[in-house]
Order: sequence, then structure tokens, then C-alpha cells
Amino acid sequence: MYKITLENITHSYGDKEVLQNFSFSFQQGKITCLLGPSGCGKTTVLRLVAGLEKPSAGMVKINGSVVSKNGEILLPPHQRKIGFVFQDLALWPHFTVFDNIAFALKEKKEDNIKDKVTELLDLFGISNKAPKYPHQLSGGQKQMVAIARSLIMKPEILLMDEPMANIDIQLKENILNHLLKIHQQQKFTMLYVTHDHREALKTGDEIIIMNTGKIETAGTKEEIRNSTNSFLQFY
Amino acid sequence: MKFGFKYIPFLLLVLLLVLPLALLFVQWLTGKEGMQLFSFIDRAYLLLMGKSLLISGIVALLATITGTVCAFLLYKFQFSFNKFYRVALLLPLFISPYIFAVAWKDGFFWLLGNSATIYSEAGVIMVHTFVFFPLAMLITGTTLSQIHSGYEEAGLMTVSFRRMMMKIVLPLIRPALTISFLLILLFSLSDFSIPAFFGVRTFTTEIFTQFSAFYNFPLAIGQSVLLLLVCLLLMLSEARYLSDAPFLSVSAKGSFSKKYQTGNRKVLVHGFIWILLASALLIPVLMLTVQSFTGRTLFFAEAWELIRPAAFQSVKLAFAGACIITFIGLWTAFVKERKNQKLPDLLLLLTFIVPSTVLGIALIRYYNHPALNFIYGTSLILLIAYLGKFGFIASRIIGNGIKQIPVSFEEAASVAGIPSKKVFLKISLPLLVPSLFTAFVLSFILCLGELGATMMVYPPGTELMTVKTFTISANAPEALTSSMTLINLGVTVFFILLLFVFGKWMFKKFQYV
Amino acid sequence: MSKHKKYTKQKSGFGCHLLSLKSFIQTSKIIKVIIGVAFIIATGCMSNPNEVTVYCTVDQVFSEPILKDFERETGIKVNAVYDTEETKSTGVMNRLIAEKNNPRCDLFWSGDPLRNGILQTNGISEPYQSEQTLLIPDNFKEKNNHWIGFSARARVLIYNTTLIASDSLPGSVFDLTDSRFRGRFTIANPLFGTTTFHMAALFVTLGDEKAKQWMNDIKTNGVVVATSNGDVKKRVMNGELAFGLTDTDDAFEAKKESNEVDYIFLDQQGNGIGTLIMPNALSLIKDSPQSENGKRLINYLLTRETEAKLAESCAQMPLIKGTEVPDNLSSLDNIKPMRIDFKETSDKLETIQPWLKTWAEE
Repeated sequence: MYKITLENITHSYGDKEVLQNFSFSFQQGKITCLLGPSGCGKTTVLRLVAGLEKPSAGMVKINGSVVSKNGEILLPPHQRKIGFVFQDLALWPHFTVFDNIAFALKEKKEDNIKDKVTELLDLFGISNKAPKYPHQLSGGQKQMVAIARSLIMKPEILLMDEPMANIDIQLKENILNHLLKIHQQQKFTMLYVTHDHREALKTGDEIIIMNTGKIETAGTKEEIRNSTNSFLQFY
Repeated sequence: MKFGFKYIPFLLLVLLLVLPLALLFVQWLTGKEGMQLFSFIDRAYLLLMGKSLLISGIVALLATITGTVCAFLLYKFQFSFNKFYRVALLLPLFISPYIFAVAWKDGFFWLLGNSATIYSEAGVIMVHTFVFFPLAMLITGTTLSQIHSGYEEAGLMTVSFRRMMMKIVLPLIRPALTISFLLILLFSLSDFSIPAFFGVRTFTTEIFTQFSAFYNFPLAIGQSVLLLLVCLLLMLSEARYLSDAPFLSVSAKGSFSKKYQTGNRKVLVHGFIWILLASALLIPVLMLTVQSFTGRTLFFAEAWELIRPAAFQSVKLAFAGACIITFIGLWTAFVKERKNQKLPDLLLLLTFIVPSTVLGIALIRYYNHPALNFIYGTSLILLIAYLGKFGFIASRIIGNGIKQIPVSFEEAASVAGIPSKKVFLKISLPLLVPSLFTAFVLSFILCLGELGATMMVYPPGTELMTVKTFTISANAPEALTSSMTLINLGVTVFFILLLFVFGKWMFKKFQYV
Repeated sequence: MSKHKKYTKQKSGFGCHLLSLKSFIQTSKIIKVIIGVAFIIATGCMSNPNEVTVYCTVDQVFSEPILKDFERETGIKVNAVYDTEETKSTGVMNRLIAEKNNPRCDLFWSGDPLRNGILQTNGISEPYQSEQTLLIPDNFKEKNNHWIGFSARARVLIYNTTLIASDSLPGSVFDLTDSRFRGRFTIANPLFGTTTFHMAALFVTLGDEKAKQWMNDIKTNGVVVATSNGDVKKRVMNGELAFGLTDTDDAFEAKKESNEVDYIFLDQQGNGIGTLIMPNALSLIKDSPQSENGKRLINYLLTRETEAKLAESCAQMPLIKGTEVPDNLSSLDNIKPMRIDFKETSDKLETIQPWLKTWAEE
């Protein structure tokens, strides 16, 4: 279980500033939801934690070690023990479902690849889709494959960028339940980006409300529910 | 019964271009010389075909590797002068291979005191590789810039950059690599000028010897048919990639591709690119420049006087050719992508792989008729030859542009009650402007530098830049020839830059997504 | 709403015909435009009585000024297609043969008479005689006037003065088999241009067996086969090779460009076979569109003035007596020519070509 700390992060894309002096410590082993309107910097936070972006200024620490700071990535993404579910899923079109999930295991030359992959597929109820290609799956099935892929290496940190977009409520409930069950077992630190406040309130141990690159307010579910923050009310 | 004007482009394509080739083939098959049908296929010819394939295969391999490395560097990495390098490294593609052969021959002599080494298969391979690697760079680079960054980032979460490139990116660009290899193989196989210049016997030099020394048309056409069949087999083997791979695509949406930093390898990267630029472009140009100043007199003024009328004529014809090619390419691409009618595209593919001399003979035989003098005796015949040579490329560029427009855009307009013609004009066409422009520019540059088919069919009294330089060079002072070649090059580069600047504005204005 | 209704109406029954008729009318308009444009182009591009079309294999740099002079002096526009040894792929000969049933060319101006012989054999040329043609000696014309010669070139040995002294040069083509010249000399590809002519002439003069032996011997002696006479010239000028066989116009150009080259005529000794003399050759094309203009051009070319210009520009030796020539130009009177029959040489060419091809390619 890893603790993630962002200290005084300022980040820009070109001349557009997306995070302004952002600081936060994400609790070890907890699920933190990042909630806010489009363009407020939620995805950027995830990408900075993953090491896919270099912070223009500030520091990213994982478990006390500085992994990125001031325009430099000190620890590359593949060494951070992170699972990432991208907003558009990014399933590799030339790999089958099985190969998409097994890729990391094969690269790391792990044992019992078939068993591990099958276990996850069974958990999500899509074992029969193993030989299929991504374009042969439905939207929900793709989602499950993407999540399974992010979990296969038993990450210490799981980053999810709007993973339930474009999924019907019943399926969403189903997937979330699976996810929470796995989280119970593995206790990874999870950052979950959404702009659905109901999802955030259901899923997160802690919720951050963001707006224009800054934290408007943050707290537990109950604190957020009872908050009188004007932006929160408006949002 | 509806008589749509939509059939006119198809009729034009068939009547103007396909029928001459078909008639030539039929005449050859059914003529009294038809006994030549397979008589020429003996061990010696098959060995010669094998040798030609080997030389061209090596060229294709080297050019594809070089082009792919350049594509990775230029399309996946950010560093200074990146855009300049992209344009500069493309230039060799637009210059007549013969010019490179002459320049390199002189280069070898200046450097080594002896040009004997270059008069060999190795010389052919070297020059062809330098001429054709930009094609691989263009095709692979375009494909690389269309790979969604998510694929790479998902890979980066698990493995290092190098492993991710090998395991994720390389398999995804496999169609582009295959197409590059195949196209370069075909171009190299069909080229006559370089092997002839270096005295290397290949299948195409054999065909031209039959045409030009023996005037043995039936045998030459038979050999051309064999060459055509080989080319066709190669193309068909990768037909699915050829028709669907997004090569030469213009991303109207802007690139989704992830870009990387070169870090502390900046010097290495710049060094590699400059070495390639020097070999492929600067050394030949330097040789031509040096040659222009040797001898007793400076010939630039005289060269310009000789080239000037030809240059204007060439530019006008190239412009007209590019317009026609873009129009037919648009129509062909549209019916293929939206109406699933693949025949026009296939026809353009067939004319694309026909050797220039065969195309020329076919056009002469078909159009040399009193009723068709208005085509045969005018520049129209040149425009038809250009369409045959480059129509396929335009069709593919525009076709990939059409693929990037979601069908739902057009469907939304149809559902709103807009007639299909208006949907095309108001919805599809504006979104296709970048692709159309790219197809136009590429066609223009290729028409400007075309020599093979032009030499066969240019009407008497027509002065064209490439033809004039080529024919004058036979017995003009070397300095004059080099001066003319440099001016030729200068005119081409001038138009490339002009169109590049205009293109930047165009792309900015029409970048909707 | 009304727009939508209109669209729906067009989809059914009568509306369908309406759409077809409208389409047809629009299509007809387009067809009319196309026909109109084609008509304009056609009328603009029919053969103009004030034009003449020439297919020319003499180097453009020499022939074009002459044709431009004709244009200026007569007002007849000259449409020319040029060809050289390098541009094997063009083949004005290919065009002439392909155009046989509907000739576009009025006059074929060749650098040597062998190509004209091929046209005659294929029934593409027609005889022509005039006052001007009578000025040309009979041995430089086809006996039925299917081609008329003028301004001749000769085969010469061009050499680099820094690489070989003049007194060390071969005096005959047969000396090229001498081992002291091993790998130091070049000839152009014998399948094309005047080198073909030269080889055919040697075959006629020596007989097949001796000629083949000689060619094999020079091959054994390391002859470098260049792509053309121009290439021979360049390689000798550059100093890559000591000497080579080429034509007088190439050698003359080389001397203009460099102080380090010169040329000699071979086989001038008493018992020597002589140097091959190659006249330019003019053939009138049968059933050509502007035959009269073609004849005018022939007559213009067969003049002392034209021969003088060619003598000045590229050292071509006049055949018409009394033509003024530069002082440094050799006269035909001072050169021992190779005694050949052009028709016999032309026929010989066709028979030896396959052997020459094998020789060149092995």
C-alpha cells in the first residue's frame, strides 16, 4: 500500500495552466475520488502520479520517495507499480483479450500466466471472451478487460480515469462491486476520476472536489455530503 | 432510368486510360506475334527476373529500414528543426533518379578518383535507396502519428520505452512497413534509368533494349506483361493492407500520437539526420554545383534561357495534371469508401504499376488516330499519362482522409433532409480539404519531375523541363548540364516550399477537429 | 418543414422521373460543355498548314538552333521531338513505327543513315528528290532517295593528353587488342547509336568471323563499355580512362571544354581500312500531314549555310562542295574513309544485333 503525495504541483499544457499549486496526500490503501467539471485537471493529476507527465513545478512522492519533480521524471512509469485504466481504455487492438491482460506477466516472465489471467477473467465473468479481439467486444466487456489488465500485476496504486463512462447503471453497479471486492482483498491505493457525484459518493473513502486546477474542497463522504461549499452546491 | 453524372468519371477513366492498356494487351495476345506469348520465358529471362527482384528487394529493405528509423525520430520525438528535417528529407523523392545517378557518379570520381565502383549493382542499390527511403519515411511516419497515445501509455505502465516500441508500436505499424517495402520494391523494379546508366542489366533494361535497339514490340510487351504480373502478384499478396492501411494519410483531426524527448541523445539524433541529408541530398547537389562551375565558362545564364520556356510549360502542365488527378482521385476514393465500389481504385492501381514505356506505347497505339488527334497531338495525352502514373497515390491519400470522417457526420445531415449532393459539398468536402490539398501537392510535384512516360508521348514542339535537361545533356558541356539540373531542382524546391507555406495556412484554416 | 416535404416528394413515383429528367438535363449540360471544350481543343490542335513536325536524333544542342533558324526564316513553326543515345527509352524510332498507320511526323532527321534504312524496310519513308538533293554525292544517299545524307561525322579516337602521349596512341582499331592498352580504353554500348553503326561496318568490312574475334579480343583486353558516346567523352575528359572511340562532334565538344583532350582518325595508313564516315540522314515520312513543309525543311537543311553552321557548332564535315568551314576542321578530302555500302551495313546490323547483345551483356 503506497501513500501518494503531490506537493505544490503546477502544470501546464503549452500556455494553458491546468493545475495551480496543487497539493494533496492520498491516503494509503484508500479510495480517493476526484470529482469536478471537465477540464479541471483531474486526469492531469492521475497522469502526474503515473509518470506520464512531468510536473512543470512541484513534486510527486510515492511512499516518501520523490518520483517526479520540477520537469523531471525520476522514476519511470513501469517501475511505479501502478495500474491505470485509461478513459478510452486503450486496449491493444492486435492482442486478444487474454494477451492484453497477460502482456505484463509475459514481459516480466512470471509463472502461471494462464491461471492468473483466467482467475481475473472468471472474476469479471468474461472467460469466454479470452480469445476475442477488442473490436469483437461490447463496451462493458471492454471496460472489464481494461480493469482486469490494470489489476493483473497486483499494483500498489490503481488509477482509474472515468472508467464507467458510457456504461448502463446495472453494469456499472456490477463492475464497481467487483472492483470494491478486489480492493478489499488487495488494499491498493486507488485514485478514481469521475464527474458523477453519485458514483463518487458510493465509491470513495475520500472525495476531492476540483475546479480550474485547484482543490475546492476535500473530505470524507459524510463531510462532503454536509459541506456548504458554494461551488459544491452549484456543482 | 437515372443517368447520373456520377458515371462520367468512371467512363473517362476507362475510355481514356484503361482501354488503351487493355487493347494493347489484347492485340499482343491475339496478334500474329502471339506466338511470343510464352516463348520468351526461358531460364535466362527467369534468372534475370530473379536478379532484378533481388536487387530491388535489397533496395526495398534498406530504404524501409532507413525510412522507418527516420519516421520514428521525426514523428515520435520532439527536437529542434524537426519540421525542417521532415521537408528536407522528403526532397529526394521528388527529384528524378537520373539526376542522382549523374551526381553520384561524379561524386565518386571526385572522392575516389575513379567512378568504376558505382557502375555496379551496388551503385544501383545505393542510389535507389537514397531516392526511395523518403517514401518509407512518409508512409511509416503518417501511420506512427495516428497511433493513439493511449496504446503507448498503457504499455509504458508495464514495460520500458524500448520494449513498448517493439511490442506495441512496431506490430501496429506492420501494415505501413509492408506497404513501404512493397511500393519501393515495385518502384525500384520498374525503374530503367539508374540500371541503364550504371550499365547493370535488369529486366527493365532488357525490355527497353527490345523496344529501342531491336524494335521488337511483341517481345518487349510480352516481357512487360511478365513484369506486370510479378508486380500484380506482389501487390495482391498484401492487397488488404494496400487498400486499408492508412498510409499517406493526412490527419485532419490533428495527431493523437505521443511524442517523446530525445534527452541526452539529441546530438546523436541530429548527427544521424544530417549524415542522411548529406548523403541523400547535399552531396548530389554539391556535386552538381561544383560541376556547374568547372570548365571554362559559367553556364547559368544560358541554362536559364534554355530551361525557362520549358519550366513555364512544365509548371502549367503539372498544375493541370494535379487538378485532374485530384478530381479523379477524389471520385475514386469516394466511391470506394462510401459506396463500396472498388473497381475504379483497382483500375488506377493497375495503371500505376504498368512500366512507363508500356504505358507510352499503349497510349500511342490507341490515340494515334485521325479522330483522336486532338488528344494525341496535344498536351492532353501527357495529362492522361500523368493520371495513369499518379492517380492511385491521390486516390489513397484522399481515401484515408474520407476514412477519418465519421459516417455519422453525413448521416446527421441526411437525416436533417439535406440532399446527398449538398451533403457532399457542404459536409464532406470542407472536411476533406487538407487531404485534397496534400494529394494536389504531391501530384503536382510528381508530374513536374516525371520523365519515363513523358519521354514516350510528349507532343512535338512541347518543351518540358525534365525532357529538355535530359536530351540536352547528351552532348552539352558538363557545366551546362549541371546548371540545367540545378535550375530544374531549384524550380521544384521553390514550388515545394511555396506549397508548404500555403499548406500551413490551409491546414490551420481547415482543422476542424 | 417545407424543405423536408419537398425532399420526400422527390422520392416517389412521378418525382422519381422528375429527378431523372433534371439529372439528365444537368448531365447534358455537362456533356455539352465537355464537347465544346473538346471541339475548341480539336480545332486548335488540328495540323496547322504553317507547321512541320520533325523527329530528330541529332543532339538537341546542335539541331535545335538550325530548326529555330528555319522557323525564323520561313515563318513555318517547327514541332520537334528529340532523342539521344541516352534516352533509349524514348525511341523516336518507336514512335515512328507505332505511328506508321497515322503518321504525325513529316521529316525524320537522323544522326546516321542506319535508322533511316529501318524506316525504309518498314515502309515508313518515301523517296524525295530535288535540286538540293542533287548537291549531295551519290555515295551519301540511298539509291532511291529514301534518305539523303549531309554534314557527316566520323568515328575518332578521343584521348586524354595527360594519360597517354600522342605517339603512344593506337593507329588502328585493331591495336585496341594490344595488351599495353589493357583496361585503359572505352567504347559505347554497341547496341545503340553510332557505335552500332561502327560495329556493323566492321562486320561488313572484315566478315563475321574476324569481326567477332576482334570484339572478343577487346573484351579480353578489358574494354570498358560506356552507356553512350557522351559518356565515353566524359570519362576520357575526367581522366578515368586514357582514350575511347566516339564521334567527331563529341570529341570537338570535349576539346572546347578541356585542354587535356584531343582526337585522331584511326586506320589512315596506306593499307588501313579507313575511318567510318557517318552522314546525317533525312527521310521524308510517307503520308505525313505536312509533307510539303517537310520537303521545304529538307531543302533548307541541304544547303551550304546549314552545313557551315553544323561545321562551326559540332565539327560536322560538309558533303556539299564549296561549303565554308572553320580552319581547325578536318575536311573529308583529307580523311581516308571506310568503304562501305550503307544498305548492306543496315542489313548486317539487323543480323548481328542478337550477337552484339550477348557480347554487351556478358
